[in-house]
Amino acid sequence: MPKTRSANPNTRLYILAGFLFFWFLAICIRLVWVQVVDYAFFSKQALKQQQRSIEVSPVRGYIYDRNGNQLAGSMAVDSVFAVPSEIPDTHSTAGILARILRADATEIENRLNASHAFAWVARKVDNQTSSRIRALNLKGIYFQKESKRFYPKHELAAQVLGYVGLDDEGLGGIEREYESRLKGKPGTMLISMDAKRRWFGRVEKNPDLGENVVLTIDEKIQYIAERELEQAMHDTQAEAGTIIVQNPHTGEVLALANRPTFDPNVFRIPNVQALKNRAVSDVYEPGSTFKVVTLAAAIEEKLTNPDEVIDCQMGSIIVNGLRIHDHHPYGGLTVAQILQHSSDVGAIKIALRLGEERFDRYIRAFGFGSQTGIELPGETRGLTRPVSRWSKVSIGAISMGQEIGVSPVQLISMISTIANDGVYVPSRIVMGTTAPRSTAQLVAFHPMEGKRVISPMTAAQMKHMMENVVLNGTGKSAILNGYSTAGKTGTAQKTDPATGRYSKSHYIASFSGFAPVNNPAVTVLVVLDSPVGLHEGGQVAAPVFSRVAQQVLAYLNVTHDVDLQDPRWLLLRAKVKPEDVAEGAAEQIITIAEAGPPGQPEAPAAPPTSDARLMAAAYKQTAASQAPAPQPAETAGTVAPVAPVRANGTVVLDVAGGVVVPDFTGKPLRAALEEAQALGIELEVSGSGVARSQSPAAGSKIPHGGHVSVRFGR
Amino acid sequence: MISYRDFDWVLLGFVLLICTLGVVEIYSTTWGTKFAGSHIKQIYWIIAGVLLMFVVSLVNYQVLLENAKWFYIISILSLLAVALFGKKYLGARRWIQLPGGQHFQPSEWVKFVLIIALAEYFSEDTDRASLSDVVKAGLIAAFPMMLVLKQPDLGTALTYVPVVIVALFLGGIQFKHAMVILLVSGVLMPAVWHYGLKQYQKERLLTFLHPEADSQKGGYQLDQSKIAVGSGGIWGKGIRKGTQTQGSFLPEPHTDFIFAAWCEEHGFVGAVGLLLLYFMVLMRLIHNAQTAPDRAGGFVVMGVVAVLLFHILVNAGMVVGYMPVTGIPLPLMSYGGSSLLFMFLALGIVMNVRMRRFVN
Repeated sequence: MPKTRSANPNTRLYILAGFLFFWFLAICIRLVWVQVVDYAFFSKQALKQQQRSIEVSPVRGYIYDRNGNQLAGSMAVDSVFAVPSEIPDTHSTAGILARILRADATEIENRLNASHAFAWVARKVDNQTSSRIRALNLKGIYFQKESKRFYPKHELAAQVLGYVGLDDEGLGGIEREYESRLKGKPGTMLISMDAKRRWFGRVEKNPDLGENVVLTIDEKIQYIAERELEQAMHDTQAEAGTIIVQNPHTGEVLALANRPTFDPNVFRIPNVQALKNRAVSDVYEPGSTFKVVTLAAAIEEKLTNPDEVIDCQMGSIIVNGLRIHDHHPYGGLTVAQILQHSSDVGAIKIALRLGEERFDRYIRAFGFGSQTGIELPGETRGLTRPVSRWSKVSIGAISMGQEIGVSPVQLISMISTIANDGVYVPSRIVMGTTAPRSTAQLVAFHPMEGKRVISPMTAAQMKHMMENVVLNGTGKSAILNGYSTAGKTGTAQKTDPATGRYSKSHYIASFSGFAPVNNPAVTVLVVLDSPVGLHEGGQVAAPVFSRVAQQVLAYLNVTHDVDLQDPRWLLLRAKVKPEDVAEGAAEQIITIAEAGPPGQPEAPAAPPTSDARLMAAAYKQTAASQAPAPQPAETAGTVAPVAPVRANGTVVLDVAGGVVVPDFTGKPLRAALEEAQALGIELEVSGSGVARSQSPAAGSKIPHGGHVSVRFGR
Repeated sequence: MISYRDFDWVLLGFVLLICTLGVVEIYSTTWGTKFAGSHIKQIYWIIAGVLLMFVVSLVNYQVLLENAKWFYIISILSLLAVALFGKKYLGARRWIQLPGGQHFQPSEWVKFVLIIALAEYFSEDTDRASLSDVVKAGLIAAFPMMLVLKQPDLGTALTYVPVVIVALFLGGIQFKHAMVILLVSGVLMPAVWHYGLKQYQKERLLTFLHPEADSQKGGYQLDQSKIAVGSGGIWGKGIRKGTQTQGSFLPEPHTDFIFAAWCEEHGFVGAVGLLLLYFMVLMRLIHNAQTAPDRAGGFVVMGVVAVLLFHILVNAGMVVGYMPVTGIPLPLMSYGGSSLLFMFLALGIVMNVRMRRFVN
């Protein structure tokens, strides 16, 4: 088709103009999309590019003992970081740094090469190292203050405190249990930079301090426990050991020591066993100590009383067709003597009276089979089978502390329940937390609500039976100077993991007790795992109990309830022969006890004045008679007639200078309190109305300031 | 005979406005960097360019057309000279060092020669371009293109393509020939890909297709460009306040990516305003082509349009993510003497054509 000269080019020009318009429109639409619709996205991207935030570890909260002594703290140390883009020669810089840090040069170099903007060179270096690096004035190397955990007391309460990892994360003990509160919030180091990764400034958000944790632990008591446990480990060559010191009234754990132990300041811990907090995570068979539960349950159920004589069948009993042998043949023993001599047959017979269901109920009421709730990680519930899974002989085995697994903290809770007049108070190790501030603050401790397991009466009877154990039985070595003492030994054969049978060579020796008897200030548990040579609780654990309790009571300024003895007394005490307190020695004692007046010399080789009588004599001593050092013979003479006797379920002691407990029954609360105040004794009141029962019984003597539990009812 | 009454003052006004915005943006992007002060140099280049424009507008374009083949020969020789004696910089041999420290990039000027040469070729009145016309026109463009590709300078080589396309289009290329060319280039594409392109050129193209695959290299530039543009929002962050530009996240903010910098600091409103200015310039040029005194004059103007349009589209397209990173500057705005002088030279020719529209 013919066209004019310019018609065709013009048409095509319009096509080009249209194409041009289309393209402009397309770009504009794209701009709308990028700049208007996706604006938020792109501005966020832009911001992200300009800033890089690096986390700065927060200052971990401190851990204090009950008196505000620092057990775990944090110190500011330097962390070294690099801005690699500013480093002229990463290879030589890495080499220099590696030499100072004693680290691998290639590893540092790799880290420097991995990022343009930021690389940690070394975190939390000591001051000497950081000042050496600082002195070099290396280009592109900077310092950031970070916080590092440290434990000023090193091994002290190591398993309680736990330890932290390289990033200050709690890995054990309180550090782990209170991780979220101790941790604090990490701070940030903001680095603004440009595309060439030139560093242009940093803004820091300071890390938030973590909360502080205040423990119920008393540093001094802990130190006593640690020192005595260390000594005991050395003396007995035991594999492991635990000491717990507790306030029986509140459940506060005042000290908790374990061996083997470790220094939480050292990152590399050679012995994993040392990290374990045996006090809460170990399960062991309590052995004879468990007879306390058996007897307390039976007395509470009024199935027996401390004075009932039980035929111990010369050391043999058939339980559901299975014959069980006692370690020694006993004839008739009172219930108190069953505990004193730790008779297995006696315990079994009492347990049989209880029956499985009832026995199990008491076992659980004393806290076995469930966690105490102590604020420590890894607490065991122990091994407590339900009755449905008991074998025919289980009741016998459990009555003497076999076929049941308990943790040390469960066991001390049970002993504390007796000491606390029958009220179980859950064990606690944390007083509370305080606001993030690195100074010590006192915190009030609020004990958990207790629950009554046995009546105050039963508890009082148990207390005095346990006192008898220390005075005359297997716990002689536990006796304290100036304080009445109650406790129970325990010796359990360990189960050989290879054979599944009881080991003939590995024992767990324990002693748990409290003092002073009538108003216990502390409960102490000593557990020694596999002592070499002497291995019975009364032989190896009781002396440790004595040393710990003696020092702790002195530290706590607990008033003496019996007279202090002169050093010779201590010497005599030291003479307690292992066989005297061995459960095997009990037979001999009982023979004498039955034959003649109590307190006769037990061993032919022993001096005329037996330790037991001497110790009993302590109760007779007055402050006045203390001036002239009493002759052992005199002491013996005075003591003999009034040595511990069986009297209405209470060991009645003639406490010179003490108070005769009046009869409160039938009196209203106000009158009882006034009378008690006048006599200088303290009343522990339960219920309301008029007094129905009391413990100790009327007519018994207690030391000045002693406690009398009175139950009131309408 | 010729009068400055017919000089396209409106066009010059738009052009100078764009140049001024360019100077402002160059000032903003180079502030505090080693390129600081580039905006002053740019002003000198603009003045030089305007002077050049007036000078060129005095020379009758007919004379240029008559000597087209000489220009063509000289440009081929200069490209060969670059290949032999050129200064290597950033991996490419594109520049000849002139006495006095200035660098001369012949490939920019070859574009102009190509416009003249093709206009001259199509100056004869034919409604339809024969196959031999198409092939000959193609060859005219092919020689310099090959040489520039060898430098290697893919971006500049590609700027020759629109000149050829517009020339063929306006020269009356038949639909069937156009289809054949498209088919042949489609078939040749893989061969060119394998043997014709350098590794980094391939990477650039691949990066464009998959920018997320490699964010640190070529994709990084595209990402940064988009972030800069997007974070500008509607109103922009203000002069010297573009964080991406000022923080050097945006690559080449005063040259290739000046449009991105502009978008960041002046936002959507500024970007559309700038595009409108360019649109006005282009429409004005097309108008001039329509009113050209002869067919060759129209072709020359449209050649200029083709180059200008191509630069704008590729550059802006690259900035907003439509196009791969090719190293093509934004005409009249990007910092750089060669590009600027070329634009004013081209505009001088346009003025030349316009001023002679009532002659003959």
